[in-house]
Amino acid sequence: MAAPRYIADPEDQVRIVALDGLSVIFHAPSGMTHIVAPPTPEILTALRKGPADAAELLRRLSAHYEIEGDDVAARLNELEAAGLVRRA
Amino acid sequence: MRNSLALQIGPVAFRVGSVWRAPIEALAGLYAGYPAPEDGICDFTVRLEPEKPWRRWLRPSVAIQGDYILPDAAPLPLGMGLLAAEMGMNLQMALGQKRYLLLHAASVEKDGRALILTGESGAGKSTFAALLGERGWRLMGDEFALLDLETGMLRAFPRAVSLKNGAIALMEREVIPTRFGPRLDGTPKGSIRHMRPDAAAIARMGEGARPALLLFPRFGAAEAVRPVGQAEIFMRLTQASTNYVALGAAGFDALTRLVSTIPSAAVDYPDTDTAIGLVDELWRQAA
Amino acid sequence: MSDSEQDETGAGAVMPSRRTVLVLGAAAASTVVTIRPALAQTAGSVLNCEIPVPGPHAAGSYIGADGTPVAAGTPGAAPPLARPLSGEQARVLLRGSTPPGVNPQSAQAYANYIRRLQAGMSGFTCYASLQMPR
Repeated sequence: MAAPRYIADPEDQVRIVALDGLSVIFHAPSGMTHIVAPPTPEILTALRKGPADAAELLRRLSAHYEIEGDDVAARLNELEAAGLVRRA
Repeated sequence: MRNSLALQIGPVAFRVGSVWRAPIEALAGLYAGYPAPEDGICDFTVRLEPEKPWRRWLRPSVAIQGDYILPDAAPLPLGMGLLAAEMGMNLQMALGQKRYLLLHAASVEKDGRALILTGESGAGKSTFAALLGERGWRLMGDEFALLDLETGMLRAFPRAVSLKNGAIALMEREVIPTRFGPRLDGTPKGSIRHMRPDAAAIARMGEGARPALLLFPRFGAAEAVRPVGQAEIFMRLTQASTNYVALGAAGFDALTRLVSTIPSAAVDYPDTDTAIGLVDELWRQAA
Repeated sequence: MSDSEQDETGAGAVMPSRRTVLVLGAAAASTVVTIRPALAQTAGSVLNCEIPVPGPHAAGSYIGADGTPVAAGTPGAAPPLARPLSGEQARVLLRGSTPPGVNPQSAQAYANYIRRLQAGMSGFTCYASLQMPR
């Protein structure tokens, strides 16, 4: 079975403001507000380019950052539960 | 309704109606000097009605009705009708206010800039604001701070201050008797006495102020000033706002702008003189 | 992480080639806290979370002084908590104090337990969990 692919909503539907090391996000499609820590903003940016499974997301992130840890699937589950990403 | 009073409080106009006369008389006494709404047009209506028809006369019991209601709210005895009217107005704001972001906070003004006092109920912010109002600050409000969604300015909303238990005696020592409503004992929150803001606060209720400092005051601890992270402040203010969620993106923008632009601190104080000293110092630093 | 290398352009500007580190976090750590609507008339508890001590993965264990779950009856270990800790209690413990309702002799063990949770165990979805310095 192919790994699930995820996508994030486009930039104009999400407002993000940095506040002392964390970020607050307003997600217009759901009307909900979240407080998030890294690597959430970076993951959302990476998923805006198009659908990606966990491995592809890891590749996209590695192009810009030194990655520590490899459990990107856990982050995706969390973001999906919050409604910030969805299955493509 | 036969007995009714229309009140303009800051940018909000209320009509309070009642089948009984006494609560309206008490309300009129407490709000002596407040303007009537222009053209009599009101934003919200509160109605004090008997819980059941026969409770109008038999152990009279006041249910709070109005444009917005809480269906399971317990009624109050007629002797606490004034409290019912105040709670009714709070309810209209909490459930119906859409034009301003509501923060559960007290606010005072000096030189066109506002100090916002927020925090958990019972921490002493209302009392502290009332006291500052008697010490050279203009009281803008003790229960709700109204943040203009577009300009980021704070609007004044100077309702009568709701003093509880120990705070009653404290303010009775500071303020003339004619500015108080009746003392109400045995309410769900203990003893309550309402106090009218001073003449300056009433006269200037149309004047807003630019938020300049946000404090989380806590009475009853050793003197301390602690920084609070901006994300934590944002979180606490959303929890202290009854309409943040309903306001969507506009609420988010207004609140992030507030949190990211003004300095803040948590202040603990063992007595009011210490508190006032701390505030003066922090206010100077924020200028 | 490699040491930074300096890369000089012809104009004399210095460009470090070290990249930002992104920590993905452990399996059950938390990086998202959602704002829940406040009730009409309360300005009460602000941290919507509960931390069971110990968590379900170690149910019945006591908490050793260093915060690891240990067998019941281990000398010096703190007992499991009957009620989960609130976010506010967790923050007080992490500051080194004892919140009301917690035995002062156990406070340090519980605080260490919470600190270990930040390294990625279940049940820690509080705002406080976002405060981890990396």
